[in-house]
Amino acid sequence: MDFITGEIVGILLFFIGLYGLMTKKSIIKTIMSMSIMESGIYLFYVTINYVPGSVPPIGQQGDAPFVDPVPSALMITAIVIGIGVTAIGLTMFMHYKQKHGITHWSRNRN
Amino acid sequence: MTETHKIIDIVRILFAVLGAFVVLFLFLNHAEQIDTPLFDYFTSDFIAETGAQNSVAAIYLNYRVFDTLFEALMLMVSVMEVINVSWANKHAEQYRYEEDELNRKNNSEIVIRMVGIIYPFVILIGLYVIINGHVSPGGGFQGGAILATALITRYLVYPNFDLDLHVLEKIEKLLFLSIVTTPVLYVFMQLQPANTDLSNQIYMILMNSLIGLKVFSGLSIIFYRFVFYEGR
Repeated sequence: MDFITGEIVGILLFFIGLYGLMTKKSIIKTIMSMSIMESGIYLFYVTINYVPGSVPPIGQQGDAPFVDPVPSALMITAIVIGIGVTAIGLTMFMHYKQKHGITHWSRNRN
Repeated sequence: MTETHKIIDIVRILFAVLGAFVVLFLFLNHAEQIDTPLFDYFTSDFIAETGAQNSVAAIYLNYRVFDTLFEALMLMVSVMEVINVSWANKHAEQYRYEEDELNRKNNSEIVIRMVGIIYPFVILIGLYVIINGHVSPGGGFQGGAILATALITRYLVYPNFDLDLHVLEKIEKLLFLSIVTTPVLYVFMQLQPANTDLSNQIYMILMNSLIGLKVFSGLSIIFYRFVFYEGR
């Protein structure tokens, strides 16, 4: 099971989300697919450039090398932005549903 | 009609699987070793340069503070969208909620007692994570999310809508203004005293508290809007 690393699972999650975006016609499922793609990206970024045996980048550097702090700092902002995007999508979905009574992208649900 | 749909579905599945395989193949078979100049620069001397023990806090509050500014802007824009682009605004008369029905509706006694015990500790750990964000794992975003959790547990105990969300929104806008002005004055224009040991610490704590309060108000506005306006 050596090949199951965070990067590979992140790439697979991204493409599972992309498949959901391409095939599902329900708007809720589209928003969920976007969230799945986002989680794949977070997982890919926080595990990239990881050296076994490294320590968190806090305090003075000892013998062990530091973990790369750049992806963590990027992902902190990306998670909050992901919450914002999901909230915007759900609010617009509720508006659309109340105004037109439609929960799918087209009237043909098949 | 259904035949073409099936074919299109199969093409989509093939596209996703093929894309995943191509990206995995490229990722697993790259051989070149890339240097890490950013990693070396950010981890070499961050304690002396920024005053933060935590390198992640040093990056998002000093080295790459633009990220934080635009993240705060993004959260504020989404909160404004949730408040203003809502169907319930124009059709408020359909959305009157009955106070008596909501009050203590299907709440268990165990949850109410336990939340009452836990509630101050949640607020305490949120403030701890915010204030110690630059010397330990933590920071404004995480602490703000924990503080918002405290407000969400309050909803479990007392599911009534007695918060003034417009006041919270105004507070969030003021906090955004100070989040923008503080790094502009301190980091970009270098309005610092000669000995920056103490002022760096003060800057870190101030920025973490501002970001934490902003994330707290943004998340609680989103939660209460969704519970009391969108979910009915």
